[in-house]
Amino acid sequence: MATDVVTGDFNINAEVDVKSIEATARKARAQSIRRLLRYTLLKLVALVITVAIGVYITVIVANMGGEVDKIRMATIRETVALAATADPSFKNLTSEERIAVINERVELEAKRYGLDRPFILRSFEYLKDAMTLNLGFAQQLVSDSGSRLVRNIILERLPSTLVLFGTANLLLFFVALFAGLSLSRRYGSWADKVVLALAPTSAAPPWFYGIFLILIFAALLGLLPFGGMVSAPPPENGLEYALSLLEHMILPVSAWLLSAIFLTIYNWRTFFLIYASEDYVEMAKAKGLPDGMIERRYILRPTLPNIITSFALLLITLWTGAIITETVFNWPGIGQLYARAIGAFDTPVIVANVVIYAYLLALTVFVLDFVYALVDPRVRVGEGGRKS
Amino acid sequence: MAQENETVLRVRNLRLYFQTRGGPVQAVDGVDFDLRKNEATVIIGESGCGKSSLAKAILRLLPRNAGRYDGEIWLHDQNIMALNDESFRKEIRWRRISMVPQAAMNALNPVMKIGDQVAEPAMVHLNMDEEDAMKSAVRMLEHVGVPIDFLHRYAFELSGGMRQRSALAMALVTLPDVVILDEPTSALDVLTQASIMNLMKRMKHELETSFILITHDIATSSELADNVAVMYAGQIVEVGDARRFFPKPLHPYSHALMASVPRLRETIEPEFITGQPPSLLNPPTGCRFKDRCPRRFEKCDQEPPMYTREGDRLVKCWLYEQPSA
Repeated sequence: MATDVVTGDFNINAEVDVKSIEATARKARAQSIRRLLRYTLLKLVALVITVAIGVYITVIVANMGGEVDKIRMATIRETVALAATADPSFKNLTSEERIAVINERVELEAKRYGLDRPFILRSFEYLKDAMTLNLGFAQQLVSDSGSRLVRNIILERLPSTLVLFGTANLLLFFVALFAGLSLSRRYGSWADKVVLALAPTSAAPPWFYGIFLILIFAALLGLLPFGGMVSAPPPENGLEYALSLLEHMILPVSAWLLSAIFLTIYNWRTFFLIYASEDYVEMAKAKGLPDGMIERRYILRPTLPNIITSFALLLITLWTGAIITETVFNWPGIGQLYARAIGAFDTPVIVANVVIYAYLLALTVFVLDFVYALVDPRVRVGEGGRKS
Repeated sequence: MAQENETVLRVRNLRLYFQTRGGPVQAVDGVDFDLRKNEATVIIGESGCGKSSLAKAILRLLPRNAGRYDGEIWLHDQNIMALNDESFRKEIRWRRISMVPQAAMNALNPVMKIGDQVAEPAMVHLNMDEEDAMKSAVRMLEHVGVPIDFLHRYAFELSGGMRQRSALAMALVTLPDVVILDEPTSALDVLTQASIMNLMKRMKHELETSFILITHDIATSSELADNVAVMYAGQIVEVGDARRFFPKPLHPYSHALMASVPRLRETIEPEFITGQPPSLLNPPTGCRFKDRCPRRFEKCDQEPPMYTREGDRLVKCWLYEQPSA
């Protein structure tokens, strides 16, 4: 080998065309914005159709495919007949005439409720009402402010569910995520073994822990309230109200965390353990990158879609609250409302709950897809199977 | 002529064992070899002979079950085995020794742009700002033949050859003293293999970098090799310069390896070595190749020392005990 070749013709200080770097960057940006817009539009259309189908199925099911109409017609006929026998002006009529008048009144009444038209037509009107969030009136339940409007009943309950389960779930999510990441880097350590050993505690539901927590901290020690959202009467002062709310949240949040934290940490730890053994993580280590950078760029960023999915699923569960936990802690949330509506056969409230849930679910999925396309370059729309 | 170059890397008695339920696996067992400036040493061996573990041992990329790990690795006049982990990371990894992995597809971060990934080591190790690092990334990418508009693309958008070129650019961007190529072409088709091999040959001519090429592919390795080290069952059994090794290998295992290469337009059938390489969990005493060796004799039950032949060729075989053999 000739020595003059060794010195080489590669010049590390060679001029680089900066403009062309910028131009390619601009082109890439414009392309990704177009891609994102197209993706968004397609998803939106698809989601609206999905919600409509879901709500329509709910309408059909809640009305038992039109069978409920027969029950309502029977109720109308019974009411009209009762009214007719009580009416003195009917006494002079023959039974044929009486039946004719009753039938006439029943038809009138049916027309008033729209029962004269076929169910299939009306089902689409119900769909339209539900889709436009025209939720109607409750049959039995009344909101605390005295309103029979289903919308008011639900909106009154939603904030208390969100504040409790929002706090509990966000706490659970972030604590578990970072604890899991840290454990995956210290695989086999004593902390790892402790979490592993405690993971089966998540087999018991939160209300199970709730009962014990109430027993210990409210009944035995008398440190914390048994249940409810604020002390009665509610404090006037905003700060005092917030403190009282916090005090009432301690036990339900603890019960929620206790019942899920170890298994969730264990899940994340295993998840990160799998992704931390990818070749590119090993490569990042070979590149001599600092640990923090490896965690951020090579473990968290590639797994961001999975983390976001998990987060979004958690948000979706938020909207429904938790029926038994809310009941145990006497928390005035959506879960408790559900329990009452089912107990009272209040179909409009049940249907409305489902409709609102469907919308929030769709919204979450929509945002999720949007975020996917933003964080993961591998998400492509309309380019076919070019992935990897 | 080749001996005029100074020695960059001296590996002495390097050991890396893995802890398993069945006992320690002796993946790298007392390996010695030298690497001179601007030369390429090829480490040849079958799958499972500890080649990749050797690469990992040099870069201290130890798996969780690593057991015994000792020996000396001299980079110029510094024993890098004596460094603590943090200074090893800062001073050695990628700054002095970098590597090109076996399958570049999985070695590139799927959600980082190629340009950012190539520029990253320059930013971390050479304290360059983003603009300077990007400039040297562009220079290196162009140098290895990656078009500039690939800068803002992701690994999954690139072909296998382009990915391997990007990985090479990433390994060279800090202009390290030593680049370890861990089977850099084995995941590619033959045409791409040829173009990558040519590229590496050009890189070797144009940069003042030394290469350790780890491969089982004897045919393509002969293109790049200045020196050859044959590895068998965690040990180096023969070392020599390429011009004398390829026509006339010394160790019976090297013979067998060379005979297994298919030849074009020749009637000689490629031969294969009977039997399996020994388990590294419990390697046989004495010569580790004895069970498969066609020229075995009584002495092979004892471990052979390294014999020097023809001035600077080393061979670990009893056949070379007599100077006349």
